[in-house]
Amino acid sequence: MSLGAFTRAIRNISRRKTRALLVIVALSFSLAIMISIPAGVVANQESTQNLTQNYNSTILATEEQINQTTTLIEVSSFSGRGIFSSNFTAPAPGSYNFSGSPGGFGGFGGSLVSRTPSYLGESIVGNISAVAGIEAVVPSLTVSSSDTTQQTISTPRGDFTINRPLYTITGVSLNFSLDDEYPILPTDIVSGTNLNESNTDTGVVLMSVNLTEYYGVGVGGQVTLDGGTFKVVGIYNPSDQGSLETRGVYMSLNDAQNLTGEVGNVSTVDVYAENASLVDNINTQIQTMYSSEIQAGTMSVTTYSDRLANLENEEAVYTETLNSAESTVAQTQSIATQEIIVALVATSLIVLFVMLYTVRERTKEIGTLKAIGFSSWSIMKQFMLEGVILSLAAGLVGIGIGTVGAPLLSGYLLPSVNLFGSRGGGFGGGFAIALSSTRSVSSTSSAAVTPMFMLLALGAAVALGAVGSLYPAWRASRTRPAEAMRYE
Amino acid sequence: MSEVVLKTEKVAKVYMMGKREVRALSDLDLQVNKGEFVAIMGPSGSGKTTLLNVLGCLDKPTAGTVILDGVDVSSMPEREACKIRRDKIGFIFQTFNLLPYLNALENVELPMECTKRPKSERSARARELLKLVGLSGREDHRPQRLSAGEQQRVAIARAMANNPAIILADEPTGNLDTENKYEIVRLLANLNINQGTTVVMVTHDSQAASHTERMLLLRDGKIAKEKLGLHSMKKKLICPYCGNKIQSTDQRCPSCKKRI
Repeated sequence: MSLGAFTRAIRNISRRKTRALLVIVALSFSLAIMISIPAGVVANQESTQNLTQNYNSTILATEEQINQTTTLIEVSSFSGRGIFSSNFTAPAPGSYNFSGSPGGFGGFGGSLVSRTPSYLGESIVGNISAVAGIEAVVPSLTVSSSDTTQQTISTPRGDFTINRPLYTITGVSLNFSLDDEYPILPTDIVSGTNLNESNTDTGVVLMSVNLTEYYGVGVGGQVTLDGGTFKVVGIYNPSDQGSLETRGVYMSLNDAQNLTGEVGNVSTVDVYAENASLVDNINTQIQTMYSSEIQAGTMSVTTYSDRLANLENEEAVYTETLNSAESTVAQTQSIATQEIIVALVATSLIVLFVMLYTVRERTKEIGTLKAIGFSSWSIMKQFMLEGVILSLAAGLVGIGIGTVGAPLLSGYLLPSVNLFGSRGGGFGGGFAIALSSTRSVSSTSSAAVTPMFMLLALGAAVALGAVGSLYPAWRASRTRPAEAMRYE
Repeated sequence: MSEVVLKTEKVAKVYMMGKREVRALSDLDLQVNKGEFVAIMGPSGSGKTTLLNVLGCLDKPTAGTVILDGVDVSSMPEREACKIRRDKIGFIFQTFNLLPYLNALENVELPMECTKRPKSERSARARELLKLVGLSGREDHRPQRLSAGEQQRVAIARAMANNPAIILADEPTGNLDTENKYEIVRLLANLNINQGTTVVMVTHDSQAASHTERMLLLRDGKIAKEKLGLHSMKKKLICPYCGNKIQSTDQRCPSCKKRI
């Protein structure tokens, strides 16, 4: 390939600027689509993979937690305290930073939105303690803060702002060696100390890292919560970043009751049996004692086996969500294949027609070149080179368009995996926060054109340019040299 | 006896126009010697262009042989024919056929691109040829910035690029005004005398043809008549207008003061 052929190709293309521009624009869109689609497919796959991973790890963690508490009987004013709250965080959208618990399972999550409607009287502690075979009864009170924060949520119908409780207050009766035997308080302390028996009524709190950062306080600092002033004695960093714990404040039960105005009330009583074999018996006695409350739905009692059953139900819901995500991915792939084929065909057809037109228009020039001694092969190379240069230029523009527009393009062209399914609300409180079911983050919005796709696009551009100009170039090479003599 | 550059024996060319057979050339015998300047004349439809196509390896004869520089080119496959066109033939067209997106120098270099000559040599040769046709200083002008006469000069320079055995010119004056027409014919005549270039020019312009050495009249696909042109006298350094001796064809006749 001589330099002369290259120069001629460039000059010829630039001779018809408008045409070249139009062709490059058309081709570049085609190529942009071609790279956006695989980017979208990868985004969908990654989202589903993340969903699966989160799901699996959450199930495992919850199972472990449940297995550690075989002796626990949970008496709660909630309609089934959430046994795990997880945040299936979408892999990409940076704007999505809702560190609460969208989609967290169980009624517990509901406390984020509104104050718990009913509480249990503190007398329940004494009543239950009287049952034989009980080792400990730990009452606690969990209430959403009145302090709120504004949050803007983007939806397809526009943005709207909601007031969210800023944190969750949990008051725990501190008369027990809670750390070791009864896992009520967080265990992952990063600085300061955990709450202990000496903190029974002292105006001190244990706070999550996120909240201390929000308030800008450290251990020993003062913080105002719902109008009361507290001293931070310890900071914890929940291992499960998706859980409610990320916005948690722990204090003594008395402090919590005074602060929230729920004096004499508790929301949950954790009852520990002396051993697992006693759980069923104790459960039956509590159920009998509070049968009317349980029927009215103002109290629930769950045991190890209940929690396990709940987990299984939740697992089923998640599995369904995952299946639908996976089927979307499968669908995506077949749609993507079809669309890419269309784009490939369109691109080579554009090159084909433009080059055919060019060849026809330049018959006399080709005849002249042949008459002065150019071989058929060198004519063919000349025209293929022109086609390749055109589509290569389009490839570069297409990469630009694709890089910027991949999320948009793949969003239009591909089905998206729904990361927060609209199937919430199905099971026992399901995805507790109503918002989580209306919000759907499309996975294709994270479609990213990687350098690998860029290289592929350039390769495709060269290949399609060559394929598309093959026939026109062949036609050109077959031009009779006598065409040079035509003088019309 | 001078060397034969081009020779045809019983060349015939038959076209099919639908179902009708058209005999463009029939049993045509022609011989052109090295260093000759020949005009082929004839009314339209007499087969001039067909003959030129056959002579120039642009088309194959239906029958007969064409020997060019000692090689039978009449049934040569295309990949061989293009080398013959490149090395042995220089074409000049009625419409100049310069590539509009190349400048004068690049147009002249074009035929040399297919050869193995280095770029610097091609460029030097192209400059030399442009100087020969009187276009020094116009090397980087594109065709649209050159007059018709100048464009044809570039085309003549291009035709001579690979130092061909023969130059075939198809109505080279057909698109030119009288003044330029004469200049181009004179240029070809001078190249013929000074460079020894063999030129076969197809034309229906008898005035242009009269400046050649030998005129062949084509009729119904055959050579019907042959006569000498003014150029035969110039070659003998005789003024074709007054018959007196001249020193050079580049100057006016010292006797009659006419431009030769």
